Amino acid sequence: MRIPEIKDKRALYRKLAAAAALVFLATLGTLLARHMNLGPARPVPTFRDTGPADAPIVIEEFTDFACPACRHAYSGVKEIRKAYPDKVRVVFKHYPLTNIHPWSVEAAMRADCAGRQGKFEEYANLLFEFQRDWALEREPRKIFDEYVEKAGLDRTALDACLADPATERQVRGDMAEGDMRGINATPTFFVNGKRAVGLGQLVDKARPLMISLK
Amino acid sequence: MKDLKTASFAQWAALAGRAALGLVFAWAGFLKAAAPAEEFAYAIETYRLFPAWMATLASLTVPWAEIYLGLLLAAGLFTRITAGLTGALIVFFQVLLAQAMVRGLPITSCGCFGTAKSNPIEVELGLNFILLALAFLAWSRGRDLLSLDGAIEALPSGGGEKEKP
Repeated sequence: MRIPEIKDKRALYRKLAAAAALVFLATLGTLLARHMNLGPARPVPTFRDTGPADAPIVIEEFTDFACPACRHAYSGVKEIRKAYPDKVRVVFKHYPLTNIHPWSVEAAMRADCAGRQGKFEEYANLLFEFQRDWALEREPRKIFDEYVEKAGLDRTALDACLADPATERQVRGDMAEGDMRGINATPTFFVNGKRAVGLGQLVDKARPLMISLK
Repeated sequence: MKDLKTASFAQWAALAGRAALGLVFAWAGFLKAAAPAEEFAYAIETYRLFPAWMATLASLTVPWAEIYLGLLLAAGLFTRITAGLTGALIVFFQVLLAQAMVRGLPITSCGCFGTAKSNPIEVELGLNFILLALAFLAWSRGRDLLSLDGAIEALPSGGGEKEKP
């Protein structure tokens, strides 16, 4: 039996050329969509998504709990949220720089586990506020545990959450998204999709939007 | 290529099936290719059939295959081949879903459309039968109407003998 597609050589070459053009355009389109962040939004846990869902300004924040610049930027973002509670939505995403901050992934996991108990912000505040105490420690788990007490978390539930593979997967998923979006420094923000690295750039990008809303 | 005015219902149905199946496949592939590969790799791992390296490899290749197959099918290019391959891929997905259902694996998202919300496995299994029927329609009559296959074959072969004056 002859397959209908290849009974005529000239037609076959034309079809191959058309298929190559289609494949080329599809590849180009998909890669461009990836580059321009036009792909589907990756869901984050609700405790890391603050502000109104229909806010005109959406800030995605890729952060490492052990990075000093992130600590500085985190308080800056809090100020923005405070000043524009109805206009700004902040989506917090983990981007631990594992090559220089060996405990960042665990810190992020612990913050997420605190989030499952409704205390993400409390735990994140402690991690940033006392960053110098744990970030360079060889074995900071005791310090992390102190924050569990301070934040008033259920220790057993937190341990179970840390042992759940889904917790690490969520953090690694954020990191993979950050890699795909070309992040190589923290903190990196996307203000309505536009990249800003560091608090200075964030303010520069967000200010005109905020002024236009006044 | 058949004249649109004289086309039968079966040919129109095959055209609709070919376009629908192609676009569903291309969209599903795009949603996965535009997201981090790790997400889809994780979805594959939940089926507990493949080692991690195979899941990673599949997460990097399957979405692109879906995009290319889907677009070629929707355009009606190499229709029988692409419809056959698409059908084979759906059968493979069915095997994955069915074994997960039989083993009672706790799969919350089939991974079919990336991180988008998915239906329960049983529903996905049923929907895939519909897609399989569309693949058969596309394979059997899909090149009859509005296909690039038909359009290219209708072109003059060119480069042959010149007409004598």
